[in-house]
Amino acid sequence: MSKTITLNHITKIEGHAKLRIVVRKGKVARCELSSVEGSRYFEGIVKGRKFYEAHEMTSRICGICSCAHVIAAISAIEDALGYKASMQTKELRILMTLAERIRSHATHLYFLALPDYLGYDSALAMAPKYRNELKQALNLMKTGNGIIKILAARDLHPVSATIGGWLKLPEQEKMAEIGVLLEKALPDAISTCRLFFSLKYPDFSTKGDFFSLMQKGEYAVLDGKFGAGKSNFDKSEYRKFISEYHEPYTSANFVVRNKKRYFVGALARLNNNFGFLRENAKKMLKECPFTLPSTNPYHNNAAQAIELVHCIEHAIDICRNLHIKKEKVVKMKLRSGKGIGCIEVPRGTLWHEYTLDSKGVITNANIITPTAQNLLNMQEDIREILPSMLNRKKEDIILEVEKLIRSYDPCFSCSAHFLEVEWL
Amino acid sequence: MGKLKVGVYGITGCAGCQLSVIFNEDEILDIVELVDLRAFPFIKEVNPEEEFDCVIVEGLVADRGDLKTLKMLRRNSKMLVSLGACACTGCVPAYRSFTLKENYEHLLYRKMEEIKDVEPTPLDAHILVDHYIPGCPPEKKEILSFIKGLVRGSIPRPYQSPVCVECRQNGNTCLLDQGKPCLGPITAGGCHAVCINGGFECWGCRGPTEDMNLDLMVRMLRDRGFDDKFINDRLRTFAGLKLPMLEKVMSGKAHKTETTFRGVRVFYE
Repeated sequence: MSKTITLNHITKIEGHAKLRIVVRKGKVARCELSSVEGSRYFEGIVKGRKFYEAHEMTSRICGICSCAHVIAAISAIEDALGYKASMQTKELRILMTLAERIRSHATHLYFLALPDYLGYDSALAMAPKYRNELKQALNLMKTGNGIIKILAARDLHPVSATIGGWLKLPEQEKMAEIGVLLEKALPDAISTCRLFFSLKYPDFSTKGDFFSLMQKGEYAVLDGKFGAGKSNFDKSEYRKFISEYHEPYTSANFVVRNKKRYFVGALARLNNNFGFLRENAKKMLKECPFTLPSTNPYHNNAAQAIELVHCIEHAIDICRNLHIKKEKVVKMKLRSGKGIGCIEVPRGTLWHEYTLDSKGVITNANIITPTAQNLLNMQEDIREILPSMLNRKKEDIILEVEKLIRSYDPCFSCSAHFLEVEWL
Repeated sequence: MGKLKVGVYGITGCAGCQLSVIFNEDEILDIVELVDLRAFPFIKEVNPEEEFDCVIVEGLVADRGDLKTLKMLRRNSKMLVSLGACACTGCVPAYRSFTLKENYEHLLYRKMEEIKDVEPTPLDAHILVDHYIPGCPPEKKEILSFIKGLVRGSIPRPYQSPVCVECRQNGNTCLLDQGKPCLGPITAGGCHAVCINGGFECWGCRGPTEDMNLDLMVRMLRDRGFDDKFINDRLRTFAGLKLPMLEKVMSGKAHKTETTFRGVRVFYE
């Protein structure tokens, strides 16, 4: 007896993905998770463009992580040109990254993940009974979006961040305004934590490693080494450790470190950096029903909720301490070379690499998104969790598998096709 | 009469336009009450694909799957709306049509039939589009006023003045005067000149205005010292497919231009 489960369109995720499972004689014979998003070849089309155009174009890779792609591209180009951003620029970039994480986590938690756990078709269908919870979610999203708008004019595909500085600096009063927005959002983040702590997560442990950026004394955002514990490396060495390969059934590549699969995202960051959480986030950690480090990918939802609290506190600190000075955008001195940007974004670690010629023209680009890195782990987790539920109804199996996929907060728009192919 | 049956779909794209619908944080819970939101796969589990009164589609056609979905949606809906730059003009992904194949050749690989690439194209290259909500990202409030208009039976007319009009109203200093390659003069406004407010030049994400003077735009950029490769690249990044006359204008062979934006289908069938 063989049973095939095909999910042609996995809903409630960014982008399009498909899952195919074949079960023969009570064993999982096939398990293929694939991106069916059309290819956009971003790495190809930025070739031949000027160094200052890359971030505006690669921003279009993803709507919800557009700030992430902008900042990763800018850091990579600055790295190639041997330029180090000023303290103020760096703080503003961190603030924008945190704001994006707030809106992205809130969107994912409430609109994509929560309906599964409460048994609803969508967050909108929850409105009659859970109006307050939804208001919280919308307030958190509005806070994140509002901050990005103040800093960079637009909340999706922001424009003011640029190579060598900030095109239009926010006024000092605006920073105070951001601080007020954040203070108001903190209670919503805390109750989000409690809500996601109260959900019942399936018992499961992934075999993948948990990797993120790590930096002494800080819950790493834009700087640090990549890895877990003592096993880590500098971003400049990533080609030595990370490789990509392709299967014909998907339009995204699989990414492995030393031929082993790994997990990136909120739970990986929390596992590696929880010692550096801010005050309230630490308090929430004490209420958390599981202990860290956790190897259960379903816990990624709760980890995102804790990060919401931490990000708000970190952002408040930046707003309090940053006194905006007038700084002009620095003009770059051109030189040929290669640069890498590696930053922590909502869904995990994002890599951008560019090669420039002496005239500032991009001659090569490579981008590795968090979902591409998670893809293999996601697929193998599904394969491993399946045997424990094969005797259940097909609908149940689908729901549990979808829950698992959604807990990774995947973004298939991002992962589709902009990975350089290496056949292994 | 029952509520209008509405669907929100995304084909190849960045999900940013669908997010722009949701990111109307203060209004979204009420606005969905105005219609019967049957399908929105981005945030809904169950999405019946029968008779729609209106579907709003994000993204461009980049593979065979997209084309299949798009044709199905057109068949099943009385009205189809292009949401965002990818759907309206092709946006950055369609800029690939103007790059050298050798630039992305190394990214091509063997794929199954259903996900094989097609030429990256906006929706109106394949089907009839009834209404356009342009922009990358589209203006959130424009989406709201469209849905409200749909329910009322009077759909707002698209904004036709160039970005410069709103830009001046906002009191910005002209970026072209500062030597920056701003495409505001030929780009359809309605965006409150948000990029220029943020210190960044307009890249033309909302597509060309119907009466643009492309000839003059090119001359202005040349006068500011930009070379032809740069001008071509910049003009084609967001709306290259809607500027088929660009080559002739660049070589001085055409001075008067007509646009193919917003429903006038000239060069695709």
